[in-house]
Amino acid sequence: MARKSRQVEVRMVSEYLLSAYASFPTIKAVPLGKVAESLMAEQGYAKAIGLMRPYRPEVDAVVVLPRYLVLVEAKVWNVVNGLAKLPLYKSLVPFTPELKQYSNLEVLMELVVGWTNDNLEIMARDQGVKVVVYSPPWLADIVAKQHNYWTAEYQQERQRKMQMRELLGLE
Amino acid sequence: MVLQNYVILETGVPARVHFASHVIERRTITDPRTLQPATRNVLVFDVDRLNGKEVMAKYSVMAEKHAAQFEAYLAGELYRGYDFIITKRGEGFRTVWTVEAIPLASRR
Repeated sequence: MARKSRQVEVRMVSEYLLSAYASFPTIKAVPLGKVAESLMAEQGYAKAIGLMRPYRPEVDAVVVLPRYLVLVEAKVWNVVNGLAKLPLYKSLVPFTPELKQYSNLEVLMELVVGWTNDNLEIMARDQGVKVVVYSPPWLADIVAKQHNYWTAEYQQERQRKMQMRELLGLE
Repeated sequence: MVLQNYVILETGVPARVHFASHVIERRTITDPRTLQPATRNVLVFDVDRLNGKEVMAKYSVMAEKHAAQFEAYLAGELYRGYDFIITKRGEGFRTVWTVEAIPLASRR
């Protein structure tokens, strides 16, 4: 399976935004939620936002459309986590100082995934989240490896590699 | 025109930039933790506008996470059609960059 440190999901969201929303403003890695007013008064706006960083979740991207603000979360692994986060993130939008200027826009939610299934679609519909499958060739390979992870063939191959590593003293 | 060699982001302060071209350079750096030399790929943009002023400067991206935010714009130099507002948050390995891409046709 591909290392998550390859920034697969960052690349995925960046490409998806360009393919779906090239002519609209997009913001990647947006912190969400309140910044305590007392902290802002005491430390100033910029410093208060910095100090609050560990306590504010971050959505992968926000798209600014004329009538809507779209929250976008991209997931290759743990897709249900991505789905579960979006309604919670939406609840924080009205409290997010960085998005204050868009408070007149209705908030929509999009989960961008490399693959989908019936249950994911059912849960997404229930939560008002649109599921978008974005699977360019480079991502399809990663998704295929993920799907093969639990097959007997993959496990046997993995077992063989682990034995070789041990034999060669690589672990 | 302002002569400035490199665009250095200040934590928490947004910078609005326009990129004119880019290269991927192979650079030898000193790893700040081990103090040993290491080779890294660095994405380097030529910046021709910074916060509304014409400049001749470079913006260097070494972090893979930050580079991936621009990866989709590299082919065909699509970034030329956008202004980017970049805000650096955090320090060291926990640095995060919020990147706003504004199509020039809808310049605000």
